[in-house]
Amino acid sequence: MLSTYLPALVFVALGAVVGGSFAVLNQVLGPAKSKLVATGDPYECGLPSEVKQGFRFGISFYLIAMLFILFDIEVVFLYPIAVELRAFGTFALLETIVFVVLLMVAFIYVWRRGALEWK
Amino acid sequence: MSLSIIIWLPAVAGALSLLAPRAVAGRLAVVGALATLVLAVILLVGFDNSAPGLQNVTDQNWISALGIHYKLGIDGLNVWLLTTTAMLFFAAILFASFREWERPNLFFFFFAVAESAVLGAFCAQDLILFVVFFDLMLIPFYFITGMWGGEGRVQATTKMVIYTLIGSLLMLVAAVATGVIAAEGGQPLTFAISGLQQAGLSTGTQEWIFLGFAAAFLVKMPLFPLHGWMPDAYRTMPLPALAVFSGILSKVAAYGFLRIVIPLFPDGAAHFQELLLLIALASIIYGSVMAFTQTNLRLIFGFSSVAQLGFIVLGIFALSPRGAEGALLQMVNHAVITVPVFLIIALLAARSRGSEDIREMGGLAFRAPLLAALFLIVSLATLAMPGSSNFIGEFYILLGVFESKTVIAIIAFSGVAMAAVYALRAYISTMHNRVGAQATPREIGLQDALVLVPLVLVILALAIYPQAPLKAAQGPAARSVAKARLALDPLDQRASTQKISQVTP
Amino acid sequence: MIAAAATSIKAPYIDWAAFSPIVALICGAVIVLLIGLLPGRRVREQIVPGATVLTLLATLGLTIWQWGENTSIISGALAVDRLSLVLNVVFVATGLVTVVMSLRERATVQAGQGEYYTLLLASLAGMAVLVAAQNLVTLFVGIELLSIPLYVLCASELQREKSLEAGLKYLVIGSVGSATLLFGLSFIYGATGSTDFSGIAAALSSKGETIASNPLMLTGLGMAVVGLGFKAAIAPFHQWTPDVYEGAPSPITSFMSVATKAAAFGIFLRFMDVAVIDEALTWQPLLAALAAITIVVGNVGALAQTSVKRILAWSSVAQGGYLLVGIVVSSAAGLEATLYYLVVYVVMNLAAFSVVVARERETTHGDSLSAFAGLGSKRPILAVPMTIAMLSLAGIPATAGFIGKLNLIGASVDGDYAWLGVLIAIGSAISLAYYLRIVAVMWMPDRRGDSPETDRPHGQPEIIGLAIICSAATIFFGIIPSPIYDLVRGAGESIGLL
Repeated sequence: MLSTYLPALVFVALGAVVGGSFAVLNQVLGPAKSKLVATGDPYECGLPSEVKQGFRFGISFYLIAMLFILFDIEVVFLYPIAVELRAFGTFALLETIVFVVLLMVAFIYVWRRGALEWK
Repeated sequence: MSLSIIIWLPAVAGALSLLAPRAVAGRLAVVGALATLVLAVILLVGFDNSAPGLQNVTDQNWISALGIHYKLGIDGLNVWLLTTTAMLFFAAILFASFREWERPNLFFFFFAVAESAVLGAFCAQDLILFVVFFDLMLIPFYFITGMWGGEGRVQATTKMVIYTLIGSLLMLVAAVATGVIAAEGGQPLTFAISGLQQAGLSTGTQEWIFLGFAAAFLVKMPLFPLHGWMPDAYRTMPLPALAVFSGILSKVAAYGFLRIVIPLFPDGAAHFQELLLLIALASIIYGSVMAFTQTNLRLIFGFSSVAQLGFIVLGIFALSPRGAEGALLQMVNHAVITVPVFLIIALLAARSRGSEDIREMGGLAFRAPLLAALFLIVSLATLAMPGSSNFIGEFYILLGVFESKTVIAIIAFSGVAMAAVYALRAYISTMHNRVGAQATPREIGLQDALVLVPLVLVILALAIYPQAPLKAAQGPAARSVAKARLALDPLDQRASTQKISQVTP
Repeated sequence: MIAAAATSIKAPYIDWAAFSPIVALICGAVIVLLIGLLPGRRVREQIVPGATVLTLLATLGLTIWQWGENTSIISGALAVDRLSLVLNVVFVATGLVTVVMSLRERATVQAGQGEYYTLLLASLAGMAVLVAAQNLVTLFVGIELLSIPLYVLCASELQREKSLEAGLKYLVIGSVGSATLLFGLSFIYGATGSTDFSGIAAALSSKGETIASNPLMLTGLGMAVVGLGFKAAIAPFHQWTPDVYEGAPSPITSFMSVATKAAAFGIFLRFMDVAVIDEALTWQPLLAALAAITIVVGNVGALAQTSVKRILAWSSVAQGGYLLVGIVVSSAAGLEATLYYLVVYVVMNLAAFSVVVARERETTHGDSLSAFAGLGSKRPILAVPMTIAMLSLAGIPATAGFIGKLNLIGASVDGDYAWLGVLIAIGSAISLAYYLRIVAVMWMPDRRGDSPETDRPHGQPEIIGLAIICSAATIFFGIIPSPIYDLVRGAGESIGLL
């Protein structure tokens, strides 16, 4: 029974190996430390990596981010259906259409309510 | 004649008076009560004492899913109580209509609904219907006390309702259980009292069901030690309402024992006979002693009621035909006496600037001889003066108890003596002695005399001819206790033969 | 391999006719949302509620069209039978009442008309799914579809702090309840290998083992009961009720106290009486204990309150205890008694809440008891319905509440749980103390004329009409109860109870 967990273990091990090796190899093979400030940061673009405690994101950011996640995940559902649509038949097609229509309704709602405008 | 008309007539009149202009609201209620009284008297005249079983039966399906019927009927147990109720409610409503009330429409509406509920409770021949009317009786008095009562009315009325409904709801459970358990053998579910007579519930079941009913009835009466709500409620309730509340509603409870509890749960009744007798005895002594120590007239007669109802329960739980007959007669007597007593208290209070304390009254007899005479007659009836109908009633009751429980009967005798003390004390301190500090002697008004004189005449009539209610009670009272008697003493051949000859008409 | 598996997948057969009430609710929700986007205040304030009412009426029509149906649809996920159809009628009626109550509600303006009514319809759709569910997955989908819109609705009065607090509190506690329920359901699936109610029942009986001897099943059932207990506000999982009921906008409180309760008890009935009915002897004592605790806690908790909405919240907890009695006895009589009481409870509670809503708008005292002082002489048109509702909730004869209690007591005696019947009686007696306090405040004010000075009665005929209709129905069904009996008769049989 435990053998069913083997793939999961392999996955975890691979993750550890790949992640760990990148970190170590960067240290070993990378060039010597640059004196530029930006290159010392974990990420060289985007937001500063160290922020003050009182720092706040704009509320619009949350809104857009949340909407992105919602629509993104919903669209993910379309992939498997697209691949196997022929096998599932017309029922799945109809279901997909219903799904997309509902997605459209949500999109229209978000758009008309002005959630997409950066304020 | 359909009993439904008698029952619902007051409520219809009450509903009309709710819609009528203020000035005629009282009159409409009076007309309704009078019409009810006339119909009730016609019913009494047409009643056949010799016929066994129910008369004037109305039987309709009410809740068919549960086998609950709208079944009404009269027999010797309730016909006199029914007429008495109609008479006393009429008297009280008439008395109230002579007075000013705030928002009279509502007042008379509640009063009239109360009459319908009481009449319904007396006529109901279905357990659930009885419970419905029994609970419904309380609601008008809740509002009457809370809206028109004296000091501390809200607290008093809430206390009264909660006390009473704890009992009533336990009775509801007991009533439902009776029907459901009786139907367990595969019979159709029924709650008709006649249909449950042969149910044959096991002794254990009967015992807890008995307690459910007893809780409701003992609180309602009330008997010691379940009288906690009584002093507060009596102190604040408007007097015309208190008159019928004390005089009639307590009788519904006593009647319930004879109509429902003892015939349906004979084993339970036999099992708890001694407990109930002791409660009754304690009530007689406690009520009498308290009545003697109180100075508020309402409470004197409130505690006197506790004692009187103690006697009635004593008679019922003698579980002998004599005792039950005496109890039935005493129910009528006590109702007929209590109502004038409280109406007279209202008159006395009006003559002492609203005070109901006997220490502030006195000396009325000289200026108000008629009022004094009326009060004297009522007081003498209260103390069961030989020659009064109360004397006959208490005599029968004690006779019934003597047959089985001699010691209890002897102690109960002391209650009779004590009644003389408190009744005469109340009379003397209000009517004789020096003129009280607050007293302004004045004779009874014509209108009030119109109410009180006929009531006192009824007391006298009963004193002369107590056989009338007794005759009606004879057969049904014996039938009611026959089974319990048998349960009490299976070897009692006399009882068993009596039972056979009486149960099968 | 994948392709081979895929070809074997068949689309479930859907009986669209039987499914139509739920479809109507969901389509209505979508349409209302879109209408809410149209420009113009007038459009939003009149067409949106109108479209909501139309949706509800269509659902009602479709439900009545399906009356008498007794089938399983969508591969046995949903059951269309007497139980679900009766409750659908209850939901639609409650929805209609809520729409009427909300017409002048601030929350609808603050949260947006379209959003408010869409969430209402979505929640109703969730209820319809929930009470028809006969599959663990559908059950959970239904309960979430019911709950999530409600979390938002509770907080829909955006400019009042208490409303937001109520929404947040409900969200947190509701999520705990949902999580517990889901955890429990997964255990049950693990123990029986089936998500179907009938499959679970079959698995339990075929293995020949009892719940008690199977720790997985026992844990699962326990957690599922706890989860449902949160939704149905059964003690000791009721603590959120008073705060949420008090904070939420009153029409939503009224909706929650009635419809959510009906939905939670609907699924409770179906789950207990179908999935684990053979093991009734095991869970009966547990549920009986919960019922007893709920009756006592609810009634005692209400005693010390001074906010009418809080009193009604505690009262609804207590009423939930009475409703539970019908589930404990696990018989057709018990199910029908619970269903009967639900119908009656809806009517009388809505009467009470209509008056609360009306008074909240007429005075500045909110839902405090003082808003009701002297109502009997000032506004008898509101005081009489409130009085009837209070007396009915307490179970006084000649009201529908009395007949409801009569049924529950009858079922409890019949199921050998007579002590629960006695407890119902005692609970009702305690409840009088707080119901009568409201009545006393209205009719028996301490000093004459002592009433809210800031009284500004303004015309809201629709709320007064609701109060009168609901209270008249309470009296009517108290005197002529047979229509409700006709409604619920056969519900127990339809899910296979004796």
